[in-house]
Amino acid sequence: MLAYLIRRLFAVVLTLMVVILVTFGIFFIIPKWTGVDPATMYVGKQSDAQAIEAIRQKLGLDDPIVVQFWDFLRGLFMGRDYTSGADTVHCSAPCFGYSFRNEQPIWPVLTDRLPVTLGLAGGAALLWVIGGVVTGIVSALKRGTIWDRTVMTVALAGVSLPIYFTGVVSLAIFSYQLDWVSNEYTEFGTDPALWFSGMILPWVTLAFLYAAMYARLTRATMLEVLGEDYIRTARAKGLREPVVIGKHAMRSTMTPVLTILGMDLGALVGGAILTETTFSLPGLGQAAVAAIGERDLPVILGVTLLTAGAVVVANLIVDLLYAVIDPRVRLS
Amino acid sequence: MTTHRTSKRRLAAGSAVVVAALLTTAGCGGGDKKSEGSGPGFNAAQNKIANPSDKKGGTLKFIGTQDADSWDPQRGYYGFVWDYARYYTRQLITYKPAPGAQSKELVPDMATDKAKISEGGKRYEYTLRPDLTWQDGKPITSKDIKYGIERIWAQDVLSGGPIYLKDTLDPKGEYKGPYKDKHPEKLGLKAIETPDDKTIVFKLPKPNGDFEQMLAMPAASPVRQDKDTGSRYGQKPFSSGPYQWVSYEPKKSMVLTRNPHWKKSSDPVRKALPDKVTLTLITNSDEMDKRLIKGDYDIDLNATGIGQAGRVEALRKHKGNLDNPMTGFIRYAVFPQTVKPFDKIECRKAVIYGADKQSLQTARGGPQAGGDIATNMLPPVVKGADPKYDPYGALENGGAPNTAKAKEALKKCGHPNGFKTTIAVRNNKPVEVATAESLQASLKKIGIQAEIEQYDGSMTAGIIGNPAYVKKHNFGIIIMGWGPDFPTGQGFSQPLVHSKYILDNGNNNYSMLNDPKIDAKFTQAQSELDEDKAAKIYTEMNKLVSEHAVYLPFVFEKNVIWRSSRLTNVYTADSFNGRYDYQALGVVK
Amino acid sequence: MTAPLHDTSAAETAAVDVAANAPAKEIAGRSPAQIAWVRLKRDKLAFVGGSIVLFLILVAIFAPLIVSWFGHPPNEFHDGPETIDAFGGGQPVGDWGGMSKDFLFGVEPTNGRDTFSRVVYGTRISLIVAFLSAIFAVLLGTVFGIIAGYFGGVVDTIISRTMDLLLAFPQLLFILALVSVVPSELWGLSGSGVRMGVLIVVIGFFGWPYVGRIVRGQTLSLREREYVEAAQSLGAGRRYILFRELLPNLVAPITVYMTLMIPTNILTEAALSFLGAGVKPPTASWGQMLSTAVRTYEIAPMFLIFPGLAIFVTVLAFNLLGDGVRDALDPKGNR
Repeated sequence: MLAYLIRRLFAVVLTLMVVILVTFGIFFIIPKWTGVDPATMYVGKQSDAQAIEAIRQKLGLDDPIVVQFWDFLRGLFMGRDYTSGADTVHCSAPCFGYSFRNEQPIWPVLTDRLPVTLGLAGGAALLWVIGGVVTGIVSALKRGTIWDRTVMTVALAGVSLPIYFTGVVSLAIFSYQLDWVSNEYTEFGTDPALWFSGMILPWVTLAFLYAAMYARLTRATMLEVLGEDYIRTARAKGLREPVVIGKHAMRSTMTPVLTILGMDLGALVGGAILTETTFSLPGLGQAAVAAIGERDLPVILGVTLLTAGAVVVANLIVDLLYAVIDPRVRLS
Repeated sequence: MTTHRTSKRRLAAGSAVVVAALLTTAGCGGGDKKSEGSGPGFNAAQNKIANPSDKKGGTLKFIGTQDADSWDPQRGYYGFVWDYARYYTRQLITYKPAPGAQSKELVPDMATDKAKISEGGKRYEYTLRPDLTWQDGKPITSKDIKYGIERIWAQDVLSGGPIYLKDTLDPKGEYKGPYKDKHPEKLGLKAIETPDDKTIVFKLPKPNGDFEQMLAMPAASPVRQDKDTGSRYGQKPFSSGPYQWVSYEPKKSMVLTRNPHWKKSSDPVRKALPDKVTLTLITNSDEMDKRLIKGDYDIDLNATGIGQAGRVEALRKHKGNLDNPMTGFIRYAVFPQTVKPFDKIECRKAVIYGADKQSLQTARGGPQAGGDIATNMLPPVVKGADPKYDPYGALENGGAPNTAKAKEALKKCGHPNGFKTTIAVRNNKPVEVATAESLQASLKKIGIQAEIEQYDGSMTAGIIGNPAYVKKHNFGIIIMGWGPDFPTGQGFSQPLVHSKYILDNGNNNYSMLNDPKIDAKFTQAQSELDEDKAAKIYTEMNKLVSEHAVYLPFVFEKNVIWRSSRLTNVYTADSFNGRYDYQALGVVK
Repeated sequence: MTAPLHDTSAAETAAVDVAANAPAKEIAGRSPAQIAWVRLKRDKLAFVGGSIVLFLILVAIFAPLIVSWFGHPPNEFHDGPETIDAFGGGQPVGDWGGMSKDFLFGVEPTNGRDTFSRVVYGTRISLIVAFLSAIFAVLLGTVFGIIAGYFGGVVDTIISRTMDLLLAFPQLLFILALVSVVPSELWGLSGSGVRMGVLIVVIGFFGWPYVGRIVRGQTLSLREREYVEAAQSLGAGRRYILFRELLPNLVAPITVYMTLMIPTNILTEAALSFLGAGVKPPTASWGQMLSTAVRTYEIAPMFLIFPGLAIFVTVLAFNLLGDGVRDALDPKGNR
């Protein structure tokens, strides 16, 4: 068990390293190929050769990529100083980089925006897991009925809708037309009721997309599990149906659902881009899109790294949970 | 396996519901029940003051979609930053707090009077008012002003801001900036002298009639050396104005409250009516328009104009809350002469004649939100401009293309059947992309095949500002916009057409215009201390520029901007690109 | 958020079952493919989906013809006062977004381009990008999946780790960032071609690990089957085993996967265009139309509805078809 854990953790670290390296490469090498000097991004309308040179120095743009990579890694654990001779800024560990657009370290920006995204992903996940799994199970048990087919078709329609379309439509109706919910993000600490009101639409639209998928997945798995021998045995033993379904069948059904939930939640940490854009939520995805527009590499790198981290950690947790949920799984 | 009974009907019913719901919303325009009384009238804050008031108190709520490039007075270059900066910075002289064109006049701010100019325009002397204080109560001295201005020299640390003062006071760049200064008080710049705490003297190597314009920029604000945090100063500038910084989270929010040490008696300019000024930044501009119209916020910080959808609703139901000022910007296309076939003047003329100016105007937003069809390259807010000077007949036939002349020009330039070229446009400005598409469509009709290249808008200085890149990528047509840094020919045109502004990176003279006759006009106008005489020279300069046919101006820009019904003391100011004069604003409640 | 590709477990079972049951069906004298086809034909929803897909493909192929009959050239401006109200917000003149005999779906705000023509031409971009990127992903996934599964050992570890890595990347964010730094001329292409090429490659590239995982799993289990062992003992070469014994058995899961991947890719392409990283203007694409439309839907709702519906119908049709294909290839008949 311990050896397994260590091996997995090692893999996690390795994955993250490669993620950093690849992201680095893309943003430092490709602009060089295209022949655009990245330093020119930071100068204003009247640029000055001296300024361009200083920025190049301060950002270490002339250093080989390996050196830049090493500096970044070291900064993560030990913090680092950015200096252009005359002016030094310190970025304390964990230093995810320093945004020269906003003149501030990245880490506080990320931690500031993380709760928004977590709130969005968590709330939506709660809705879609409950909604998806319940409809999936009911569908499986009532397979072939009108209910089953309707639900499954609606689910299929659900995955076919782009969220920026449903999002805009639902905002137009429920916020601007009917004024039932807030159209603005309020911090939970400021006013929990307003926060809730502002999050309902994003939660529901996002959850709808996923619930559809989870319902289909749950239904398929459940049907498969119900055909297994041990369920037949359980029934033959005279166990009551709710026990068979609720206890025996559910356990195995939850395994794939959990796998995917882990991946989805991880991906959503950085990937709720469209939802956050549509609903103007100041989360990580939105920060990332803005950063891409401004070529604020440290922010892009930070979000990428955070997301990748969340995905691999979520996968690890899910794998560990398997052993708890499904007694057939042994970690090795 | 059971066969499926089709649920097509359900599906159809489902989609019908969605469509119906959307149409209901669309029909009603959304949120009309919230119309909170009508404002004082369309254009009520144009050339006059809407809701004049001296009532203090309340919170003034800004909203915006774009954060400052920097709130550091020496680094900010965005127009709205200069307007907003008057909340927390003061200058020796500044723009008159008055509506419309009157705002272009310079009035003393921290100085008791305008400069005493001597030595043939090479020496400017100011005396400071009494009672000038920082937010901690200490007096603002001439040394603080000198130190603040010196920060412009530290381009290696504080890049991004205007460098007019540096170029004018120290054209050779001998001073290395305060951070590398050996002087004990870091006041080593020789061009500025501070004989005592209340006197400051500027010594110019050669006269420049616009020197006071440069001193009116926030870049000439004082900064106290012990409060200078270098590149991070923009996170929390130390206030010399009526408001001080409480909190600021980049791209999210800002709160300013009164500076208790600022004295009204020391400041003839700033009204300082609200108790608190807040700023909320979001990313979705249509969302912003909706919140403004709903009444949640008072004013758009960026003042780039209400978007299409919001505009229709606002014009229909809240016309009294709108103003339609001219911004001083010209939206245009420019032809780099290094890119073939634009080295030939007739090929450039072909594009100018072949463009459908009315379609371009519509793409910019139409006569109200886009602006008037532009005739030449000097905006009406600049002294010496003449919008009636129309050398290429832009206004003929309501802006329709002159196909006959275009074809003739094509023949003369040796491409009777047209040619291929590329239109370069920023990818982060949908309206500019729309004009590129319009230009592309009209050029196609005379046989010019133009491809649209959307480049990364954040890399402007390194892409279209790099002549080698432009040539290599065959950018024959570049779409841009330009507004005056200060309302004179120098403040608008010089970076665009003067040969010394041709740079390897961060070039603004995209056409590579290199005409000694034009350069000479600038030298002549700058040594002229009489504004009116200088204006006449700029008129001549502008004609020379037009004759080169390197610019295709689209519109003299106008915006439709929102003013909430809560706002008092509102007027648009030509000096701030037609934005409201922020320092004058107050709120009811 | 595009819909992530999830239905892997089901696809996997389908494949195993096809393989397991194949010999039994042989007795009935019908190949698994024939059986699947019969099942597919009986599935009415899948049939509807399939018909729509076929219709869309025809629309894409004959777009110029259709537009010449019922519309105007897709990039032609109609921004005169009879179609566009330039003085207000550039909204279409007339009810229903300017819908008329002349402009079947109305016109685009500001420039008055024919919405119908642009929706029709948009079909091309969506389908081409979705199909080609799916093919690209399947090719990569199959090749690497088989290699990993068949050879095992270090090769497997490297490929598997690479797949895990790619799956850990925030895809949409990454593609968005990548597309924004790609030069305007690449691989001898220019204009919209570059962007399309890049979209295809990038979407495909991030899609292959999903295919790769399944193929690897299949290969692993197939490798141990008797018939492969038999072939090996008869002295068959690696190549023979890979292409003649393994690949045919992977056709079913790959087919399923590809049909399910296409709708996802359509959504991804639309999302990227929506976020401004799609094909270049003036080329019409649905996502790019939507990104204009969400800014103007109050003044031109039809301009939001038509491209929105186009995406919805197309994706739904592919999903219905894909669902049907999966059920057809899964003889256990879970329905």
